Amino acid sequence: MIHTFRPAGTPIALALFLATAVPAPVFADPDPQPWSERAIREDVDITALAASGEDPISVLQPLGERLFSARFTTLDGAGRPDATGAIVPTKARRRSHLPFQRLAGMDANACASCHNEPVVGGAGAFTANVFVSEGFESADFDTIDPQFSNERNTNAIQGAGLIELLAREMTADLRRQRQDVLAKARANGKTAKTKLVSKGISFGSLTADPDGTLDVSGLDGIDDDLTLRPFSQKGVFASLRQFTVNAMNAHHGMQARERFGSTWTGTDDFDDDGHTDELTPGHISALVAWQATLPAPTRKQDLPDIWQDAAQAGETLFGEIGCSACHIPELPLESLVFHDPGPYDTAGTLRQSDVVSPLALDLGTLDWVKALPRDDQGRVLVPLFGDLKRHKIADAANDTFGNELLAQRFVARDVFMTAELWGIGSTAPYGHRGDLTTLNEVILAHGGEATASRKAYSDLEEQDRQSVIAFLRSLEIAE
Amino acid sequence: MRQAGFLALTLLAVTASACPAFADNISGNTSGQSSLAPVPVFAEEAQSAGINHIYDGAWEFFVGGGTAIFDCDGDRRPDLFLAGGKNPAQLFRNASPTAGPLKFEPVDTGLSDRQSANVLGAYPLDFNNDDVLDLVLLRLGENLLLEGKGSCRFDVTNRALAFDGGREWTTAFSATFEPDLEFPTLAFGNYVDRSAPGSPWGTCHDNFLFRPETTGDGDVSYSEATRLSPGYCSLSMLFTDWNRSGEPALRISNDRQYYRGGEEQLWAVPPGRPPRPYRKADGWQHLKIWGMGIASIDLDVDGFPEYALTSMGDTKLQKLAEDSDETVPVYQDIAFDLRVTAHRPYAGEDLKPSTGWHSEFQDVNNDGLWDLYIAKGNVEAMPDFAAYDPDNLLLGQWDGRFTEAGSEAGIGLDRRGRGAGLADFNADGLLDIVVVNRGAPASLFRNLGQGTAEHPKPLGNWLAVDIRQPGKPNRRAVGAKISVRTGTRSMVKDVQIGAGHASGQSGFVHFGLGVAERANVRIKWPDGDWSHAYRVFANGHVIIDRGAEKARLWYPE
Repeated sequence: MIHTFRPAGTPIALALFLATAVPAPVFADPDPQPWSERAIREDVDITALAASGEDPISVLQPLGERLFSARFTTLDGAGRPDATGAIVPTKARRRSHLPFQRLAGMDANACASCHNEPVVGGAGAFTANVFVSEGFESADFDTIDPQFSNERNTNAIQGAGLIELLAREMTADLRRQRQDVLAKARANGKTAKTKLVSKGISFGSLTADPDGTLDVSGLDGIDDDLTLRPFSQKGVFASLRQFTVNAMNAHHGMQARERFGSTWTGTDDFDDDGHTDELTPGHISALVAWQATLPAPTRKQDLPDIWQDAAQAGETLFGEIGCSACHIPELPLESLVFHDPGPYDTAGTLRQSDVVSPLALDLGTLDWVKALPRDDQGRVLVPLFGDLKRHKIADAANDTFGNELLAQRFVARDVFMTAELWGIGSTAPYGHRGDLTTLNEVILAHGGEATASRKAYSDLEEQDRQSVIAFLRSLEIAE
Repeated sequence: MRQAGFLALTLLAVTASACPAFADNISGNTSGQSSLAPVPVFAEEAQSAGINHIYDGAWEFFVGGGTAIFDCDGDRRPDLFLAGGKNPAQLFRNASPTAGPLKFEPVDTGLSDRQSANVLGAYPLDFNNDDVLDLVLLRLGENLLLEGKGSCRFDVTNRALAFDGGREWTTAFSATFEPDLEFPTLAFGNYVDRSAPGSPWGTCHDNFLFRPETTGDGDVSYSEATRLSPGYCSLSMLFTDWNRSGEPALRISNDRQYYRGGEEQLWAVPPGRPPRPYRKADGWQHLKIWGMGIASIDLDVDGFPEYALTSMGDTKLQKLAEDSDETVPVYQDIAFDLRVTAHRPYAGEDLKPSTGWHSEFQDVNNDGLWDLYIAKGNVEAMPDFAAYDPDNLLLGQWDGRFTEAGSEAGIGLDRRGRGAGLADFNADGLLDIVVVNRGAPASLFRNLGQGTAEHPKPLGNWLAVDIRQPGKPNRRAVGAKISVRTGTRSMVKDVQIGAGHASGQSGFVHFGLGVAERANVRIKWPDGDWSHAYRVFANGHVIIDRGAEKARLWYPE
C-alpha cells in the first residue's frame, strides 16, 4: 500500500519547533491519539502511486470516501480567516469574526453535510443550499446581504466520473474541429467556417481567417476556448479536481497546496490560520477518485406495473414533446480511463504537466460501469439525460429560472447547463435554487430555449403529464 | 571612451557599509533570498535557432546594439531585426514550431550594404498607417525610415517622407501619436557630437523631434525637425503619460559620462506647441546617472507609471512621490526598498559595480507579478566595473519586492549585453529573451517554464493581447492602455514605442494570470475612451478591434 501517514497542515508553531529542536527524522509524526479531533490522518504520494502499477482506485477510493465525509476541524486547518472563498486566491479585506457563515462561508465542515440525499455524494435539501459568488466582488462577499450572491441547491455527484470523461472527449473533438477549420483557412487562403458538433450536439459555428484568427461569436452553449466545462449548474468548472479545490476552500476553508500554496501565493498558509498546505495533491486525488467512481444513477427496478407502464409511456412522450432534444437520454463514451490530473486543467489545479505521469483510473473495472449498455461500436452509453451544453432557460414570459442577480464566470444569469436528469427521482426539491417542490412545477418553469417543449408538456392531457412524471420519478440514485 | 566611475564606486562602498543587506549580497542573490515565485528555466538556443549575429565595432558601438521584435511577414509571429554596428544588421524570420525549439531564418531586407551597416538600434511602428509595420533604424550617420512592404521587405522612405536622417550618432528613439494628428511624432535621441571642439567631453548633441505633416495627397511628411536642446547624450527615451493627463511627455535618460551640467530629462510636448523641458521650478529633480535604458510599468496600478532606469552601479526605480501630483513631476527612488538596485553582479567573484543597459518589465513566470529583466555588460574593458556582469532576472514577489533569479534561470552568460527584448517566439505562452551582446554572439533564450528542452512545462496561466483600431489612424493603438483584471487584481500595460536600450517591439502584449483561468480585459484607447470589458479565457492569444463586441482569437499553426 502507498498510504503514508503524514499530518497535513502541520501547525506553524509545531513545524518551527520540530525544525529547530528535533532532529529531522522526527518529522514523521506519532500517530494521533484515538480520540483526536483531527479529520485528516492519511496522505497518498500520487507520484509513487502512479509509478507503482497498483490500481489507483483501490488505494484512493477509501481515503476519498473518508475525506468526503470527514468533519474538518481547526486542527486540520478548517476555516479561512484571512481569505475569501474566491476561486482565485484572494485575501479578505478584514477578518470575519464568524468562523462559520452561511453566505460567504465557510458554510460547512464536511462535504457530506450537504451532499447526502439519498446517500453520501448525493444532492441536498433546500436547507443545504449554498450561496455562490465570485467571492471577490461586493465587499469580499463578507456581507450577510444575499443580494451579492446566487443561491444554489446542492447537486448530486453520482456518475460525475463519466460526465467528466464525456466532457473531455467532447473538448478534444471540438478542438480538433477548430484545428481543422484553421488549417483549411490557412491552406486555401480564404475564410472558412465550420459547424461544431460533438456526440451529435451542436455548439454553433466557428469562422477562421487565413491568418489564424478565429471569430467565436457563433459559438453556442460553450466557452470561447472550447473547453467543455460540465460541472456546476452553470457549467463553469472543467473537472472534478478543479471543482474540489474550489469547494474545499469556499465551503470548508481547507486550502489545497496546488492553488493556495507558496508557488502561486508566496505563502504556504494563505488563509493565515496557522496551518500550512492543508490539502496535498494526494488528498485532492483521493477526493476526485471517490467522486469519479461514485456509481451513476439508475432506474428503479421494483416498480409496480402501473408505474412501470406509466413510466414507459412517459419516456416516449418525453421524447415526443421535445424534452430529449436537450435532456438527451444517453451519450456514447469512447474511453473509460479517467486520468487524474486531467488534460484540460490550468494553473492552480494540478495539471498533467505538473506530474511525472497522471494516475489512470480505469472505470471499466467497476461493476456498475460494466452493467451499462454499449453501442455497436463498443462504446459505453452514458444514460445522463443531458447534453452538457448551456442554454438560455428563462424569458420575460417565464422568468422562474431567471431569478438570479449575478452572472457567474461569464455566463449570463438566465443561462444554465442542461441539468442531467439521471437521479432526478431522488433529488427533490428541484431547480437551481431547489425551490420547486414538484417535477410538474420545474417542468412548467422552463422558458427561453425550452419554451416549445414546456408548452407541449402543458398541452398534454393530465394523464400524459402524469406519465412524464412517472418516468422522471423512476430515475433514481440507488440507496 | 568611458572612464571609471569613481564617484559611483565610492558611493556604493559607503552604501554597502551602511546597509548590511547589501554587504550580505555580494555574490549570488542580491536580495539574499531565493525566489518564492517560480523560477523559469531558460535554454540558450541562438546557434541551433540559426541566429548567428554579433554586434561589434569601435568606440561608437560601445553603446547601442538594439533589436526590433515585430511581425514583418503578417503571420503574427514575432520576427527579429538585430543591429550589427560595424557588422551588417540582420533580419530573421521566425520559423519556430509552436511550443518547440526556437528557429529563425535570415531574410533579405532589401537594404544595401551601406544602409545595413552602422546600425545601433531599431524600433518598429506603423508610421504610414497602412497596418504593415515599418521600422526606424538608429544609425551612426543617417537614420532610416523603412516602410514595411510585407513579406519582410522594406523600402527606405527618407526622401519620400522628406525626412532628413541627419549625420548624428543616434542612440535613442520614441514615437507617439499626438492628439488630432493622424501620423506619429518621432523623437530621436543623439549621443556625442564627435565633430564638436573638445569632443567627447561636454559635447552632447541635441535631440530631435519630428512632427508629422499631412501632404496634399494624404500622405505623411517629416520635413521639419524641432531641436530638443540641450541634449545630454541620451541612451533611451520614452513618450509616457506620466501624469495620466492623456498628453504624453518625453522622458529621456542620459549618460553622465559625457555631459556637463546635464541631468535626466522630461519634456512636455503640448499639442501644436513647442516642447519644453520640465525644470526645477516645475518640480523636476536633478538626477545624474549613466542612464542607459528606461523600463516603465505601473506597479501599483495607480495610473502613474513607475520607471526603472539602468545605469552603471545601481538601477533606479522611480515612483511619483507621495507629496507630488499630476502637475509636479517629483519622483522618489524605491529601488532599494523593492530590491532592484542590481548594483553588482549576483554571481562570480567580481565585486565591482555592474553596468546595466536594456531593461524591461515583463512576466516571465506567468504568476501575475511583473518581473524586471536587465541586460548587463561592461562597456568594453573598464577596469573599475565588473568584467563578468551577468544579465538580471529580477522576479516579482508577492510582497511587492523583487528577487534575483538570473543564475537559477540560466541566463547568466559571460557576455556583454546591450539591447534586448522579451517575446513569446514559439507561441507557447512563455516569454523568451533575445539579447544583443557586444563583441559576442547574440543570445536567444527559450523559456522552458519548469521543464526541460525536451519537455517544457508551463508555469502560470497567461494571456496575449493585440489591440487594433481598424479604419483609423494609429492602427496599432500606440498610447493605449490595456487593463487586465483577475479577481481583485488588475494589471495594466501601455502600448508604447520607445524605451529600453535601442530596442523596441510591437505585437502581442503579454500578461501572466497566475491561477486565474479567465480575465476581463478593458482598453483605454489613445483618445481616452474606455472599451467595455472583454471576457477572455486564459492561455490564448486575443485580438481586440476597437468597437468589436467580442475579441477575436488567434491560434498559431
